[in-house]
Amino acid sequence: MIKHFLLAAKLLLRDWHSGELKILLIALLIAVASMTSVGMFTQRINLAMTDQAGQFLGADLVLRSPIEIDVSVIDYAKRLDLKNTKSIHFSSVIVANDEFQLTHVKAVDKNYPLLSHIKISKKQYGEERAVTDGPGKGEVWLAPRVFSILGIELGDSIELGESKLVVTAVLKHDPGQASSFMSIAPRLLMNRHDVEATGIIQPGSRVTYQVGFAGDLSKRKQFEKWLNPRLTTSQKLIGGTEGSQALNSAMVKAEQYLSLASMLSVMLSGIAIAMTANRYGQRHYDQSALMRCMGASQKTVIQIFSMQLILLGAVGSLAGCLIGYLTQEGLVVLLKEFLSPNLPAPGIYPLLTGFISGFVTLAGFSLPALLRLKSVPPLRVLRKDISPLPASALLVYGLAMGSMIGLMWWQSGQLKLTLLVVFGVLVSVVLLFVLSLLLIMICKKLLDYSMARSISGAWKTGLQQIVRHRKENQLQMLAFGLSLMILMIIFLLRTDLISRWQQQLPDMAPNHFVINIQSYEVEAVKTFFTQHGVQTEGVYPMVRGRVTEINGVSVLDAVPEKSKLDEALKRELNLTWGNKVQENNQLLAGQWWQPGDKAKPYISIEKGLAERLEVTLGDSLSFKIADRTITATITSLRSVQWDSFQPNFYIVFPDGVINTFPVSYISSFYIDKSQKKLLNDLIKKFPTLTVLEIDAIMEQVKSVMEQVTTAVEFVMLFVLLAGMMVLVASMQSSMDDRVQSAVIMRTLGAKKSFLRRSQFAEYSLLGFLSGLLAVSGTEIIAYLLYNRVFNLDFEIHTWLLIIGPLISIILILMISHLYTKKVVQQSPLKVLRYS
Amino acid sequence: MLSPTTRIEAGMDVLAASKGLTETNPMNNTNQRMHNPSEVIISVECLTKQVPALDNPSGGMLDILTGVELEIKSAESVAIIGASGSGKSTLLGLMAGLDQPTDGDVVLAGKKLSDLDEDGRASLRGDEVGFVFQSFQLLPGLTALENVMLPLELQTKATARTEAVSLLERVGLADRLHHYPRQLSGGEQQRVAIARAFVSQPRIVFADEPTGNLDKKTSQHIIDLLFEMNSEKQTTLVIVTHDENLARQCGRCLTLENGKLLNDVAGDE
Repeated sequence: MIKHFLLAAKLLLRDWHSGELKILLIALLIAVASMTSVGMFTQRINLAMTDQAGQFLGADLVLRSPIEIDVSVIDYAKRLDLKNTKSIHFSSVIVANDEFQLTHVKAVDKNYPLLSHIKISKKQYGEERAVTDGPGKGEVWLAPRVFSILGIELGDSIELGESKLVVTAVLKHDPGQASSFMSIAPRLLMNRHDVEATGIIQPGSRVTYQVGFAGDLSKRKQFEKWLNPRLTTSQKLIGGTEGSQALNSAMVKAEQYLSLASMLSVMLSGIAIAMTANRYGQRHYDQSALMRCMGASQKTVIQIFSMQLILLGAVGSLAGCLIGYLTQEGLVVLLKEFLSPNLPAPGIYPLLTGFISGFVTLAGFSLPALLRLKSVPPLRVLRKDISPLPASALLVYGLAMGSMIGLMWWQSGQLKLTLLVVFGVLVSVVLLFVLSLLLIMICKKLLDYSMARSISGAWKTGLQQIVRHRKENQLQMLAFGLSLMILMIIFLLRTDLISRWQQQLPDMAPNHFVINIQSYEVEAVKTFFTQHGVQTEGVYPMVRGRVTEINGVSVLDAVPEKSKLDEALKRELNLTWGNKVQENNQLLAGQWWQPGDKAKPYISIEKGLAERLEVTLGDSLSFKIADRTITATITSLRSVQWDSFQPNFYIVFPDGVINTFPVSYISSFYIDKSQKKLLNDLIKKFPTLTVLEIDAIMEQVKSVMEQVTTAVEFVMLFVLLAGMMVLVASMQSSMDDRVQSAVIMRTLGAKKSFLRRSQFAEYSLLGFLSGLLAVSGTEIIAYLLYNRVFNLDFEIHTWLLIIGPLISIILILMISHLYTKKVVQQSPLKVLRYS
Repeated sequence: MLSPTTRIEAGMDVLAASKGLTETNPMNNTNQRMHNPSEVIISVECLTKQVPALDNPSGGMLDILTGVELEIKSAESVAIIGASGSGKSTLLGLMAGLDQPTDGDVVLAGKKLSDLDEDGRASLRGDEVGFVFQSFQLLPGLTALENVMLPLELQTKATARTEAVSLLERVGLADRLHHYPRQLSGGEQQRVAIARAFVSQPRIVFADEPTGNLDKKTSQHIIDLLFEMNSEKQTTLVIVTHDENLARQCGRCLTLENGKLLNDVAGDE
């Protein structure tokens, strides 16, 4: 066994020297390097973003619960060396100078915040400073606007329940604010020890208990794994980017894209490996027959070739991992400016994944070709026409498909995307196959036409070559078309994703919300903004109401079990009215109201909420608004872009239905850092307004977008490389025959210029046809992906019809030139001997 | 008929290479296997080979060999001649255990081939048989030396390299050890193939048209080398050939016609 191993190694090394293995190894290197570098890069960016998100949450993980969190959870976290901080959240009215104000109270312990810091100020609109501890016993910190409303100053006392607490700082920012930035009441931060004395928390009080955790990533993962199955339906563990919907949505899309791109680069490398392995196998039939002649048993032959495969897999995967590691390190250095300065070190997991994937790809795609070597009959040494029986189609495709699906699923963790990609590629193969048949038929007709009219020349020779070798050409067109198609899809998606992000977050995207604008203030606020040159995203009315009934049945009885705890049912919803569909909303079903529908009890509902409540067009919803109930019929369903940083609503009424209820207005606007002082002026002028500063989280989202865009570009490079490998491999697989016939033509007197022209004609035709195939496939798959996975708007890319075939022609001409130049340049004898 | 010595003189390049080498070749005397000249080393019993007729898809069979019977003794040199399609190469393939007969049997080095499975026949070939082919069958990715080492490496012999170098020197290719087949002339490639056939000390060497791809002068050099090696190693040589000159130099000449053994006569020797 060991001696055979040594022999296998020797033979492998000899094959390497003779150049046989280079394409195979390069394809493997690309597959592994792509998997590892993409894996590591994405992991690092993910970690960095989780860290950043942690800064916003004030902890790596936050557990929210309506009841007090069991001590066993905290004990387990302690055992894992995770730090923790406990807080209690509730709404309560505070009193001072006979004025009342509802506040969002957050009572924290001495560990708060675990990450990041609280920003406070000693003046209502003064300079802020960062502190790492919360208020001491008997103290409270209050949001700036409360000072104006209650007419208090620092050092004054306020009443909270039965307690009197001293205001010792102005609360400018505290971590975790980002995750609930839509809560309307101003914030109050107090010490957890003082809560009991207030007497506010009674059985049945609406309270949220929260524990934040921070610590080592692996410990956190272990903790999450332990905790998740123990969570009750009303408890929620928040971590990573979950704190921000916009961030989350961007990340999900980016991860999907990166997974898709990585999958496709693996698939392309797999195809390249299969093609080169097939050629490698065929070129080793003689070796296998000779070995059998020299006494090697089938077992020995298969042992030798399997060991070669293992060796190749080990070397290729190791080198691929190394290249992958270095590439992503290099990338991090190159893109220092765009990436987070504290990018965490990459973990070992992507390396391991890459290494194993290398083996699986190699085995899955080349094993059938190598297994055939075992059954090469020794008689082949006398009769060259004897080849081993082809491996069963089930084995070849089953193995390749099985390993591909397994790998893609394992790598991405996304079964839906994996199956969609596999299904898409299979459908494309069938489609491209039919199309290629059609194109070859057209070529045949053209050839017949030129024959009938005795047209001669290089183009006719090119056509002849295409038609004569129709089977080979069809296969080549398929391989070429498929890899070009994949490249185009990845390119299109990247372009559309990035432009979507840029649209979503243009430079002047609103970064502040202003709420609690009273009806009588709307015009004055608008004027204020106009005077100061601040552009708003419109001012929307907001009425708060709770869903109580669906089609006359109590909502809790009407909705499915899993929706009973839906956030939208637990709290009052912000309802609005309007005559037009909001800019970032899209009408999905039903009809928007006509002018005659004014004051009619209709509603437009957000699609996600409709699905969760299992309601649709024609159903009626009842809302309790103030002390009245109003019932309205669903006349349309909308999609809402929640990550647009604009006021968004689940429910919209026509004008004239809820206008009479207590209403306040909401708007969003953009100001840059230098204009921050404007906020003070705004609050001073309209003391009841609440301004929510989301510029910090916007900055984070922007930086995430930039990092992810970088990653997307980078992954595309690998897909491109893998695609090129397939092109080279597919060209190489037919090159022996092409070189042979070119040499014979030269021997028979064909001039160099004629050969050049006919080769140019043949490859241009091949490129054109492959390009056409690729463009057709691209549009179909892109349509599916855009609609089913990425929720992007699809439009036919007409420019591709020209660019696609053109690029294909250029690529094929370039690659074929590498192989055929010697045929034209050197003497036929020399080529014959070396080919 | 030329004597072995005059054969060496006839091949100029072989002569140059072989001068003095017979003394230095360590295998000439030490590793020689014992051969009993009266021992029947190949026995062909009523051998028949049929293949499906391509022009008769309804299941008709085409006779390639019909009832061939013959015996070959150890250290004999036997030529099998006949027109193209007479079944020469098929007979060689069956005798070497590369293919299986439709009927009849072959006893090779005392072993009935029909009793052995494919791996058993491979093992027997590894132990007892060497091959020389018309198209040389050198592995293009391996150098001359590596090609010759291959049979020994398959037997996991530690001395593969020394023995291969020695044989290549013997066939006059000491300065071509690290050349790839494509860098060698046809004659040189066939000399590499001869070295490879003899390197594992086989008792039988089958040669299929060994001069078929070579010009007359080179052919003669190759024939001389083949017989010389055969005589040195005392192997049994079975050659399929069109070349009457080559056939005449063999101890026996079998003529095949339409798959039947027509003549079995002694050669010029």
